[in-house]
Amino acid sequence: MDTLTLILLTTISPLACFIIAIIFLVQQPRAAQGLVLFGSAVSLLSAIGLLAQGPVEPLRFLWFQSGAIQLQFGFILDGPSLMFGVVVAFITACIMLYSIGYMAHDPSKTRYFAMLSFFAWSMLSFVYAVDLLQSFIFWELVGLSSFFLIGFWFEKPEAAGAARKAFLMTRVGDVGLFIGILLILQLVSNFDIPSLLDPQTGLSTQVSPGILNAITLLIFIGIMGKSAQFPLHTWLPDAMEGPTPVSALLHSATMVAAGVFLMIRLHPLFMAAQDTALIVLSIATFTAILASTIAMVDTDIKKVLAYSSISQLGFMLMALAAGSLFAGVFHLITHAVFKALLFLCSGIYIHAYHTNSMAEIGRSGGRRLKATTIGLIIGGAALSGVPPLAGFWSKEEIFAQLGHNGFNIYMAGAFLAAFLTAYYTFRMIFLITKPDQAPASDHSHPEPLNMKAPVLILTLGAIALGFFGSNIAHGLGLIPQHHSVILMIPTVGVVILGILIAYLDYGRDNAPRTGFISKIAPLNTLFTNKWYIDEVYRVTIVAITHALSRILHWIENHVLDGNYDRFGLGILRTGVKSTRIQGGWMQLYLGWAIILLAVVALYLGLQ
Amino acid sequence: MTLESYLLVGAALFSLGLIGALSHRNLIAVLIGIELMMNAASLNLMAFNRFVVTDPTTGQIFVLIIIGLAAAEVAIFLSIILRIYRAYHDIDAEKLTKLSG
Amino acid sequence: MLEQAVIYTFVAFVLIGGGLAAFSRQILYAIIGLGISLLGLAGLFLNLGSPFVAAMQVLIYIGGITVAIVFAMMLSIAMSIRPPDPDARKLGFAIACAVIFFGAVAHLIRGAQFQQIASPASEKAWSVGALGHALLTHYNVVFETLSLVLLLAIIGAILIARKALPKENS
Repeated sequence: MDTLTLILLTTISPLACFIIAIIFLVQQPRAAQGLVLFGSAVSLLSAIGLLAQGPVEPLRFLWFQSGAIQLQFGFILDGPSLMFGVVVAFITACIMLYSIGYMAHDPSKTRYFAMLSFFAWSMLSFVYAVDLLQSFIFWELVGLSSFFLIGFWFEKPEAAGAARKAFLMTRVGDVGLFIGILLILQLVSNFDIPSLLDPQTGLSTQVSPGILNAITLLIFIGIMGKSAQFPLHTWLPDAMEGPTPVSALLHSATMVAAGVFLMIRLHPLFMAAQDTALIVLSIATFTAILASTIAMVDTDIKKVLAYSSISQLGFMLMALAAGSLFAGVFHLITHAVFKALLFLCSGIYIHAYHTNSMAEIGRSGGRRLKATTIGLIIGGAALSGVPPLAGFWSKEEIFAQLGHNGFNIYMAGAFLAAFLTAYYTFRMIFLITKPDQAPASDHSHPEPLNMKAPVLILTLGAIALGFFGSNIAHGLGLIPQHHSVILMIPTVGVVILGILIAYLDYGRDNAPRTGFISKIAPLNTLFTNKWYIDEVYRVTIVAITHALSRILHWIENHVLDGNYDRFGLGILRTGVKSTRIQGGWMQLYLGWAIILLAVVALYLGLQ
Repeated sequence: MTLESYLLVGAALFSLGLIGALSHRNLIAVLIGIELMMNAASLNLMAFNRFVVTDPTTGQIFVLIIIGLAAAEVAIFLSIILRIYRAYHDIDAEKLTKLSG
Repeated sequence: MLEQAVIYTFVAFVLIGGGLAAFSRQILYAIIGLGISLLGLAGLFLNLGSPFVAAMQVLIYIGGITVAIVFAMMLSIAMSIRPPDPDARKLGFAIACAVIFFGAVAHLIRGAQFQQIASPASEKAWSVGALGHALLTHYNVVFETLSLVLLLAIIGAILIARKALPKENS
């Protein structure tokens, strides 16, 4: 098959499944789920086919032309999009398979699967988009579909609120992104991504560094919203209200990954804008540490994973901002796999024990679900960066990059975040596998096969993916650098330290089962309350908004309405006054008529 | 007498009629004023007919029409006056303000 | 010279009669003023070369309309006998209107350039015969319309002025 057919199959089949399912199969959820799964498989196979063909020239179709501005619709088929397209299709397929079990008893299954398919379509189209505007459209569609999925159980007020929060928070960022895109349009009248990135003739050669910094910073605001970076990260933990497979999808390959992927896509621009890169680096490092500290103290397994996603996204952006495309892509891909795995495992626990609390899961006998627990441990270890699992290699790459480019402060921050990551991951693992009291009774049923299968596949992925680093580098057209073993020692060191402390706090027999951080009360309070960021928002932005709306309300009532009222009353009064002219005294009318006649006659006669 | 002097006499007569029509409260006086104004118009037409128009029948016929219309108008006006008098027992123009806003 | 004197006499009739009609508080004097004014006007018409129109003016206006107004006065006697108090404001307004109007028109007349014909058309064109012929040929539509208007005016006057029919007992 030629490239065009493949790319169309990849992107269009989920859309077709979505349309068919949502229109025709509402009453046949089994048929819908089969169709959607089939579409997802087609999409995955086509994406793999594309990857096998290797990078080719972008396909462009003229959408419309307005003056000098050409808007194109097309597909960019270079290393990042090909690889990430496969990852998206793969994770989506796994999660759909898993959802068959997880959502087995949900009454609106068709809607769920249709939306998953829609989500896959948006994300895949975003990944392959060649035009900046096309990117933006699908970027927004990704946001929209995650809104639908987070709010899937919209009967629950928390879910509806979380969906709204996610939508609005990302919208804040999207405003920045959109302004950035419009600036690009205004400055160079060109939306074609490859030509914008061209080192000889691209955007960075056409505008001054200040403008470039401004544009990239605006785009980064969009990325901040989408990839949940401080200070726009608070929507992501709330988004856990959606079904767990949705969380898995949201946190691994779609939605949050879209932000990172946009940065990968526009990486040369960010590299040309040195100031922006530094800002990104600072924010990403801070976010990574901030999210890790919150994950340290949270008790909800999904929240812990959510904060860990935020922190890992911070890692990816750090890598990209530090200048390594490879490290960013690599960590994005490995994180997609092991984070999906972790979420699916947590989904199985939640499904089996109907609780989100890690301690509860442990007490209920979480470790009896063997396959799941193995998946959790492997995924957790990969997340922490235990060699030789996937996360180790990609994180190692990030550290190497930070060290190589001399970002020492940031490297220290990254080490701190990595230490915390290892700590909170193993805290989670120990809380589940080493409960403080023996499970009361064994009423758990083994996980169904269609839920187990994706977990197993992803476990294998989390183990093996790390060894494909050089293939990914080749796919990006880069030559992988081999780092000396000595450089790995601190990396492994902080991970082991983290695991050790987690073992001392939670893992060993007679462990205190309280984090070391609880000995430092102020910090503990700070972390438990999520650094009071939501509260800060409440007293600042929300309060300001309220105040502003009150002011506007006053203006509305007294200035706008008041003036219109006055205007209307004035007309009324004028009318009342002018009725005196209309006194019914016909001689007055006649007199005025004659005077007018005389004036008109004079006017006409004098011309 | 020249055309201008006839026209000035016509204008003066019209102004007198206007004063009559506007200043009196008695509807009959108002009617008299209106008659004066119409006659002023007639005078104008006759003067133009004499000094400007080549076919002198035009103006005369115009004036005859005005006379005829005046007759019709007076008939209507008088019947209205009678009607008003019957309704209000008065023909004061200032009291007929039913159309007042 | 005598002719001039006659004409100025007629003009004086017109204006004095008009003044009487306009300013008199007694309605009967006003009617008399109107009659005088109309008579002067008829004289002017005669002077302008149209004996027929002058005759019609005397017949219809003085003989018909003025008399009709006298009847109206007698039928609505109350106000005509006891004229209401003069209203200076109203009179002022009326005079102001009249002055403005007269000023404007006089100004226009002074400024206007009329294309006057050298001498009046032949006596024959002014004759009653010519008028009658024109009325029945060239102006026949106007003639018929006028008769229709008069008919309607008569019917309308009757309709308006008649007493309301006694209402049927219900």
